[in-house]
Amino acid sequence: MNIWLLVWRNSFRKKIRFALTCVSIMVAFFLFTALAGINHALTASVSSINQYRLMTSHKISITRSLPINYQQKIAALPGIERVSYASWFGGFFQNEKNQLAVTAVEHTSYFDLFDEYKIPKQQLAQWKKTRTGIIVGQSLANKYGWQVGDKVPLSSSIWMNRSGSFSWEFVVSAIYQSNKQGGDKKIFFQHAYFDKGRAYARNSLSWLSTKIAPNADVEQAIKSIDSLFTHSNSPTRTTTEQVFVQEQAQQFVDMAMVINVVVIAVFFTLLLIVCNTMIQTIRERLNESAMMKALGFSSSSLITAIYLESLLLLGIGAVLGTLLASILLGFIKQSLADFLPGIYISPQHYITVFALVNIAAAFCSFFPALKIKSIVVSEALGGQS
Amino acid sequence: MQNNNEIILKAINKSYQKGDNTVVVHDNFNLTIKSGEFVALMGPSGLGKSTLLHLMGGLDQPTQGEVWIGGQRIDNLTQKQLTQWRAQSIGFVFQSHHLLPVLSAQGNVELPLALTPLNRKQRKEHASMALQLVSMSERADHYPKELSGGQEQRVAIARAIVSDPQILLCDEPTGNLDRKTADEILALLAKLNSELGKTIVMVTHDNKAAEYATRVINLESYILSQNKAQAEAQNNKMNKAEVSLGSNL
Ligand SMILES: Nc1ncnc2c1ncn2[C@@H]1O[C@H](COP(=O)(O)OP(=O)(O)O)[C@@H](O)[C@H]1O
Ligand SMILES: [Mg+2]
Repeated sequence: MNIWLLVWRNSFRKKIRFALTCVSIMVAFFLFTALAGINHALTASVSSINQYRLMTSHKISITRSLPINYQQKIAALPGIERVSYASWFGGFFQNEKNQLAVTAVEHTSYFDLFDEYKIPKQQLAQWKKTRTGIIVGQSLANKYGWQVGDKVPLSSSIWMNRSGSFSWEFVVSAIYQSNKQGGDKKIFFQHAYFDKGRAYARNSLSWLSTKIAPNADVEQAIKSIDSLFTHSNSPTRTTTEQVFVQEQAQQFVDMAMVINVVVIAVFFTLLLIVCNTMIQTIRERLNESAMMKALGFSSSSLITAIYLESLLLLGIGAVLGTLLASILLGFIKQSLADFLPGIYISPQHYITVFALVNIAAAFCSFFPALKIKSIVVSEALGGQS
Repeated sequence: MQNNNEIILKAINKSYQKGDNTVVVHDNFNLTIKSGEFVALMGPSGLGKSTLLHLMGGLDQPTQGEVWIGGQRIDNLTQKQLTQWRAQSIGFVFQSHHLLPVLSAQGNVELPLALTPLNRKQRKEHASMALQLVSMSERADHYPKELSGGQEQRVAIARAIVSDPQILLCDEPTGNLDRKTADEILALLAKLNSELGKTIVMVTHDNKAAEYATRVINLESYILSQNKAQAEAQNNKMNKAEVSLGSNL
């Protein structure tokens, strides 16, 4: 017999209450961990972006196009190293259910700027020579069984070509890989083919990507690009790529905010529930505590026991909840790779969980501690109870 | 092996403040219990018997006066010191056994030993010995709810003596028991007193307790006679003073 055994036995005294409390703790920590994983995805996708790439789009909306000659105008500015551009194709394969991220890119420059796509040199050279060539991500190639040389028709939900059809002919020229998880599901093709081929809105682009010189001032570069077009028909808005992606991800961030608030509320409720459980627990055992005091146990040793009991309760719930969330995230990571790459639970998160459990245990043993301290043994045991 | 376990209550005043009223339970109360006595403290309810026991065991402190146990004054110790002192000096047995339901008889008896430097094996041995003394060895693995009232009280007594305190304070230990079981418990206490030399103070309503105890104190008459003696002493002093005053005149 030792104090640990007593703590252990006491914990499981009211099995149903223990189980219910444990489940509520589990839910709270499940939410907490799941959110942390998703949060990481949101912030990671944002922070892995190159600071020194600028995105320029129409001031009013990304859906409006810009004149194609903006490329030269921006390239002529001081402190600018390279400018490329791209347009959104809005493609799908065979039917609209197979939506694909298809982008028309300025083929001579685009992959100099975006070196995160790993394309075999030969294939890239071949693509540059092939007007209708596409570069497809490895996992797309795997999914549809595409190989270099295959003819692939892709349809656009936006762009009609000159023959009046929404179906465009392509040939697979290259397959790329990405070191970013879920980053290998895009398709690129030559902007020149797109621009000549489309039935309307020729000589326009969706956005420009600018690489500035390493020693150039980012703010300055942004200002000089936008002021160039302030009084034109198509004014621009330039941001660092980070901000650009962040704005795209704002809806996720908003969502995360809402979940954050919910998690805080859940945690608060949880604290009250566990606190209440511990207070109830100590009330039921007043006589036992008084007896232990009579035997010579100090208030602090009884308080330690109740702290350990809270810790055990919270610990079991937290471990189960965190484990469950980790396993679940492991599963959905794959299926969410397109939508939200980079779901990951950092080791720090587990340290946070550990700290939270300890803090909560301390909080929840506070009121029981006061109660224990205030027990007058002679009054508690003197009666006939 | 006889240590000094004398219990001395000296000029004790114990009163409670109830709003504007002061309830005086004991006033200028004196009592000495010698080492090795088995005292049955009897008397009507509400007279302050339990209070006296709590004072002797350091569970309560007097409003005024001194409590000496085995040559040590304990009424001025801090709560922390009292707690430590209790662990090694006093064994309590209450009317209600207050055994922990989650521990077996063995576990309950071992509980106070968690406060001692004994190792696991020694704790087990000591607890087994204590259970043997109260004839509960066979039930060591039983949980309180699997024991009868008398058996529970035996285990509670084993728990009270396991750390080998020289003084046992029992508050109506047979109050919840039938005649036969009560007799067994009284015999057990008498055995602990005569064979192990424990000093025992037992509050009881049980008239048969007198058969087992070495001294019976009827608190009501004890207080009366004490007051009378004090009054006489007071009178004598006054008379003497008058006499001397008169002779001086
Ligand atoms: N905490 C307390 N507050 C006020 N009065 C008390 C308290 N404890 C005991 N008393 C009073 O002290 C008196 C003696 O109580 P107690 O020692 O329990 O008597 P007994 O054990 O002889 O029945 C009773 O009148 C009781 O009401
Ligand atoms: Mg009483």
